[in-house]
Amino acid sequence: MAQVSLRDRNLTQTRDVAPARQKNVGLLGVSLFIASESMFFLGLFLAWFFMRNTSDAWPPAGVTPPPIAPAIFNTAVALLSAFAVGLADRAIARDDRRGLVGGTVVAGALGVIFMAVQAIEFTELATLAQSSAYGSAFTFLLLFHVLRVFVGVILMAVLLVRALIGHFSSKRRLLVQATAMYWYFITGVWLVVFAVLYLIG
Amino acid sequence: MASISIPIPLRERAKSGVLGWLATVDHKKIGIMYMVMSFAFFIAAGLMALLIRLQLAAPNLQVVDPNTYNQLFTMHGSAMIFLFTIPMLVGGFGNYFVPLMIGARDVAFPRLNAFSFWITLGAGLVMLIGFVFGARSDAAWTAYVPYSTKAYSPTVGMDIWLIGIILLGIGSTLGAVNFLVTVYSMRAPGMTAWRIPMFVWAMATTAVMVLLATPVLTAALIMLVADRNFNTQFFVANRVQLWQHMFWFYSHPAVYIMILPAMGIISEIIPVFSRKPLFGLRAVVISTVIIGLLGFTTWVHHMFVSGVDPAIERFFMFTTMVIAVPTGVKVFNWLATLWGGSLNFKTPLLMCLGFLATFVIGGISGVMQGSIPIDQYVHNSYFVVAHFHYVLFGGSVFGIFAALYYWGPKITGRMFDEKLGKLHFWLMFIGFNITFFPMHFLGLQGMPRRIATYDPGRGWELGNLIATIGAFILAFSVLIFIINAIKLRHGERATDDPWEGNTLEWSTSSPPPEYNFLEIPTVTSDRPLFDERMRTPHM
Ligand code: HEM
Ligand SMILES: [Cu+2]
Repeated sequence: MAQVSLRDRNLTQTRDVAPARQKNVGLLGVSLFIASESMFFLGLFLAWFFMRNTSDAWPPAGVTPPPIAPAIFNTAVALLSAFAVGLADRAIARDDRRGLVGGTVVAGALGVIFMAVQAIEFTELATLAQSSAYGSAFTFLLLFHVLRVFVGVILMAVLLVRALIGHFSSKRRLLVQATAMYWYFITGVWLVVFAVLYLIG
Repeated sequence: MASISIPIPLRERAKSGVLGWLATVDHKKIGIMYMVMSFAFFIAAGLMALLIRLQLAAPNLQVVDPNTYNQLFTMHGSAMIFLFTIPMLVGGFGNYFVPLMIGARDVAFPRLNAFSFWITLGAGLVMLIGFVFGARSDAAWTAYVPYSTKAYSPTVGMDIWLIGIILLGIGSTLGAVNFLVTVYSMRAPGMTAWRIPMFVWAMATTAVMVLLATPVLTAALIMLVADRNFNTQFFVANRVQLWQHMFWFYSHPAVYIMILPAMGIISEIIPVFSRKPLFGLRAVVISTVIIGLLGFTTWVHHMFVSGVDPAIERFFMFTTMVIAVPTGVKVFNWLATLWGGSLNFKTPLLMCLGFLATFVIGGISGVMQGSIPIDQYVHNSYFVVAHFHYVLFGGSVFGIFAALYYWGPKITGRMFDEKLGKLHFWLMFIGFNITFFPMHFLGLQGMPRRIATYDPGRGWELGNLIATIGAFILAFSVLIFIINAIKLRHGERATDDPWEGNTLEWSTSSPPPEYNFLEIPTVTSDRPLFDERMRTPHM
C-alpha cells in the first residue's frame, strides 16, 4: 500500500500540518470565492444592460457621463499594480524576499493611488447616483469595485508586514498567491467596468 | 474496508460547557447548533402559520388586522425558507454529515465554518427580534417592488428584513466555499467520484448553486437598500421586472437548494431500509448535477404574468418542462430501489415514502404551472400555495424529519421511540394533506393568495375550514416529535450502526468522538460499511 501518499492525504485533515496540500486547499477556496464575487458583478452588469435596453436614452437627457480621463489613468494604474503583484509572487517563488517586499509596496501604493482617484470621482458621483438609474448603476459599479480594491490593499498591508517579519518562502506563500489571485481578479473586473461604463456607455 | 492508522491531530483540548459551544470549530457541534437554531425558527414560523390559518378558517374573521396578516405571511415564508429549511439542510445536516461521510476529521476551513454559523444566527435573530418588536416587513418573502420601496413600505422593518437576508447570503456563500473545498480535497483514501455518497453529491451540487446564485440576490438587495435609504433610482418607474429577474435568478435555484439535500437524504435512507443498493447510482448522481445546472435556466417561469417578451417566456416554459425529466429519473430510481426490497418500515423509511407521495404531487402541479396558459390562470392563487407546500413541506420537511429519525441516533447516541415516531409520521402525513390538498381547489375556484380575509358565498368556506383543521393536526404532530426528542434522553442506547447503514458515519461511535475516526478508513466501493459487514461475521 502506498503508505506515504495516504499519509499525506490524511494529514491535510488537521489544521496545523501538511503545508503542501493545504496550499492547494487555500487556493481552491480563493478561486471559489472569486467565482461568487464574479457573480455579484455579473448581477450588477446585467442590471446595467437591462436598464440600458429598457430606457429611451442612456444616459438620459440632462445627465452627462463622468469624464473618461481619470478612468484611463486608473486603468494604467491597475494594470501596473497587477504587474507588480505578479513580480512579487514570482520573486518569493525564487525565495527572493526583497523582490516580494518591493513588489508588494509598489502594488499597494498603486492601489492607494487608484482609490484616491476614485475618491475624487465620488464627490461628483453622489449627485449623479440620485439623478437617474444610469447614475445609480454607474456609481454602484465604481463603488463596489473600489471596495474590493480597498480589501486588496488591506491584504497587501498584511502581506507586507508578514513579508518583513520573514513569514514567506518559496514553500510558504499561500497568502501571497491568494492576494495575487484576488488582485488579478479585481483588475479584470476593472477592465470590464471600464469597457462597459466608459467605452460602451 | 481496510483502514490505516494515522495520528489523531493534536487539537486544543475540547472545552466543555457553554464556552465549549461558543468557541467551537468542530463541524459536529456547529451542525448541531444549526439544527437547534433552525428548529426554533421552524416553531416560530409554524406558529405564524397557525395564526394565518385561524384568520382564514371562516369568512370575515378578524383574528389579526390585515396589516398584521401581511406581516405574518411575510415572516412565515421568509423564516421557513431562509431561517429553517436552508440552514437545517445545508448548515445542519451538511455540516454534521459531509465530513463524516467522506471520512474526514473536519471541514476544510473550520473557523470560517463557525463564522458562517454565527453570522446566520445573528441575521436570524435580527429579523426575528425586529419582528417581535414591531419592525416588520409586509412585502411578502419575494419583496417585490414597488411594495418594498420606500413609498409603499416606509418603515424600518423592510430595511431590517433586507439586511437580514444580505447577511444570511454572506453566511451561506462562505459555507458553500467550505463544503466544495472539503468534498474536493478531504475525502478518505479510495473515495473516487463514483464512491461519493449520494447525500454528499447533493450537498456539493447545492453548494455550487448557493455559490453562484446568492451573489446576484445580494446585489439586488443592496440596490433596494440604496434605493430606500440613499435615493438611488434602480427600481423606480416601471422597472419592476428588474427586481423580479434578479430575485428569481436566486430564488428559483433556491428551491433546488432546499430540495436537492432532501433528495440526497432519501437516496441514503431508502437503500438502507430496502436492504438493496441504490438503483442506478450514476443516473441519480448525473440527474442531480443536471438539475443543478438547469436550475439556473428556468427563473422566468415565475414571471409569466409580468409582461416578459412571449418568445422569452416560451423558452423558459421549455426549460421548465425539461428540468422535470431528471427529477422524474430520480423518482423512478427510488421506486426501483424500493421494488422487491425487504422493506423495514421504521420511521425514517415512512418519512421517505411520505416525501415520495407528496413530492410527486407537488412536482406534477409544478409542471402544470410551467405551462404558460395554465400559469396565467392559476398565478397568485391558492393553487400556487398548494404547489409549493407540496414540494417544500412535502419534500424538504419530510426529508428533514427522515434525516432526524435516521441520523438522530448517530448524533445523540440514543434511539427514538418508534411508536411515537410512527404516530408523528401518520399525523403529519394526514395533517399535511388535509391542510394543503384543498388549497388546490380553492386556487382553481379563484381564491387569491395573500388575502387577509374573504367574503362568504364564493364557495371557499369549506376548503378553508378543512385546511385550518389540518394545520392544527400538523402542529400536533410536530408536538409529538418534540416529546419524542425530549424522551430521547432516556431512550435506548444506539449502537454504532443501528440500521446497518452503508456509509462511513456508521463506522464510528454514536455520537462520534471529536476527531470522528480513530483510523481514517480506506474506501473500496460506494458502500464501505456493507463491504465491512460482508467481511466480518455477524455478531
Ligand atoms: C406548519 C405548516 C404550514 C402551514 C399551515 C402553512 C400555511 C401557509 C399559508 C396559509 C400561506 C399563504 C398565506 C397567504 O398567501 O395569505 C403560506 C405561505 C407560505 N409558506 Fe407556509 N405553511 C406551513 C409550512 C411551511 C413550510 C414548511 C414552508 C417552507 C419550507 C412554508 C413556506 C411558505 C412560503 C414561502 C409562503 C409564501 C409567503 C408569501 O406569500 O410571501 N410554509 N403558508
Ligand atoms: Cu422556479
